[in-house]
Amino acid sequence: MTTATANPAADRSRMKGAALALPALLLLLGFFVAPVLSLLVQSVTEPSFGLQNYRELIATPTYATVFFNTFLVATLVTFFALVLGFPVAWALAVLPPRWAGVIFAVVLLSMWTNLLARTYAWMVLLQTTGVVNKSLMALGIIDTPLALINNLTGVTIGMVYIMLPFIILPMQATLRTIDPATLQAAALCGASRWQAFWRVLLPLALPGIASGGLIVFVMSLGYFVTPALLGGTSNMMLAELIAQLVQSLLRWGMGGAAAFVLLVITLALYAVQVRYLGAGRTAVGG
Amino acid sequence: MLLTFKTMGALRWVLVGLSVIVAIFLLVPVIFIVALSFGSSQWLAFPPPGWTLRWYQELLADPRWLASMLTSAKIAALTTICAVTLGLLTSFALVRGNFRGRETLRAAFLTPMILPVVVIGVALYAFFLRIGLNGTLTGFVIAHTILALPFAIIPISNALEAFDKSIEDAAIVCGASPWEARLRVTLPGIRHGLFAGAIFSFLLSWDEVVVAIFMASPTLQTLPVRIWGSLRQDLSPVIAAASALLVLLTICLMIVAALVQKGRQK
Repeated sequence: MTTATANPAADRSRMKGAALALPALLLLLGFFVAPVLSLLVQSVTEPSFGLQNYRELIATPTYATVFFNTFLVATLVTFFALVLGFPVAWALAVLPPRWAGVIFAVVLLSMWTNLLARTYAWMVLLQTTGVVNKSLMALGIIDTPLALINNLTGVTIGMVYIMLPFIILPMQATLRTIDPATLQAAALCGASRWQAFWRVLLPLALPGIASGGLIVFVMSLGYFVTPALLGGTSNMMLAELIAQLVQSLLRWGMGGAAAFVLLVITLALYAVQVRYLGAGRTAVGG
Repeated sequence: MLLTFKTMGALRWVLVGLSVIVAIFLLVPVIFIVALSFGSSQWLAFPPPGWTLRWYQELLADPRWLASMLTSAKIAALTTICAVTLGLLTSFALVRGNFRGRETLRAAFLTPMILPVVVIGVALYAFFLRIGLNGTLTGFVIAHTILALPFAIIPISNALEAFDKSIEDAAIVCGASPWEARLRVTLPGIRHGLFAGAIFSFLLSWDEVVVAIFMASPTLQTLPVRIWGSLRQDLSPVIAAASALLVLLTICLMIVAALVQKGRQK
């Protein structure tokens, strides 16, 4: 008990309160905790007991490439999402409500539209005979169509598109909490715009930037759909590898080992987020 | 200065310009899908040579597409009921309870939101294969309820936290039984939280594709699984028609959400 009460009846009713969480807890234990643990156990028991799956994961160059690709894509996506998202978040925080409302609605519309529908749009837009290539050729920028799909470029464009709302929303929330008077004070004290931006606005916005960036980085590491559809065979990412190991190759042990690695990285980054940036609102819309 | 629109000078036009470009980038694919679904070109040429409703006719004439939509709707509706019911009970425990480990419990309930979906999908796939729930409606609903639970718990417990418990106590003082007070006073008081939880749960299940790919069987497929399967074969314009209908659904839900928000402020 966090607060000592003299009334045992009140104590009982509080414990009864805890019992209300029981159905959900049992569901979670039976159909979430147990299956995930059992998958991780399989990584050291299948095909035989030991760490051979992890050894294979480290020693095989193909898998090393997958890890490299995963981190490369997550880094690129986080970078571009931050660079493109920051001005939008900033604008959302300062624009008159009516204009901000329009941009906000666009961000939400894009975020709430079915993921496959959006990825499909990019598959069509980016293909060799797609609108992007045709426009670039019509403008005389290129002579032959660029390969924009089934490679790193396609995955990056598609993923930045998906992740932008997840970075804009936390950043604009942080920017809104900054008191404009702080910046006026900086100006009164003789700071130039440049100094006010680098030494006042950016440091104050940093928690939002860091937490948005971290959310996007973590989400990108484990992303499955967009890389699988817009990427090629040579830039497979970790999530797709796990699915393939399990579903097509039936190598449960290897799949479990790769899942364990992804899980550890995700939880470690999440712990950083909670420790230094506060649990806050994660990727949820709202 | 940098956070006051009127005194930002030329900088504000730079900011507006950049935001408009990003907003167009966000909007173009959504509009493009809708335009594509009415285009007459089988090969997705754009701008299309003419306009047609042919892809919608093909979509609605194909029993496999219709069956997958029905399956999706069924699973999403059942998931919503399960997630909101469990979410409501859990929120009562998390907000009203005062027991040891409450914060840990709260964090534990949010973990399905943090873990990579592919890990949950693979783990449930292995588990369901063993106990024979793979490719069943029950399996789908259980899997989606796990994923939807955090999205139900967050808005419901926020609403419950904001709800003044003394109103419920007043009802009890006036002679209501504790359960009657909860049902007839507290539940209507947190209805916007329940509504938000229901919308999030429904959308999560309706749009969910990763876990669904593992749960599905050739005879039981949700709409996203069906789209996924078609996308891996070709880029048929029928997919554009299905996608455009999904965009329409999103817009409807956004309008409903905006109206509810407006109603709350009044």
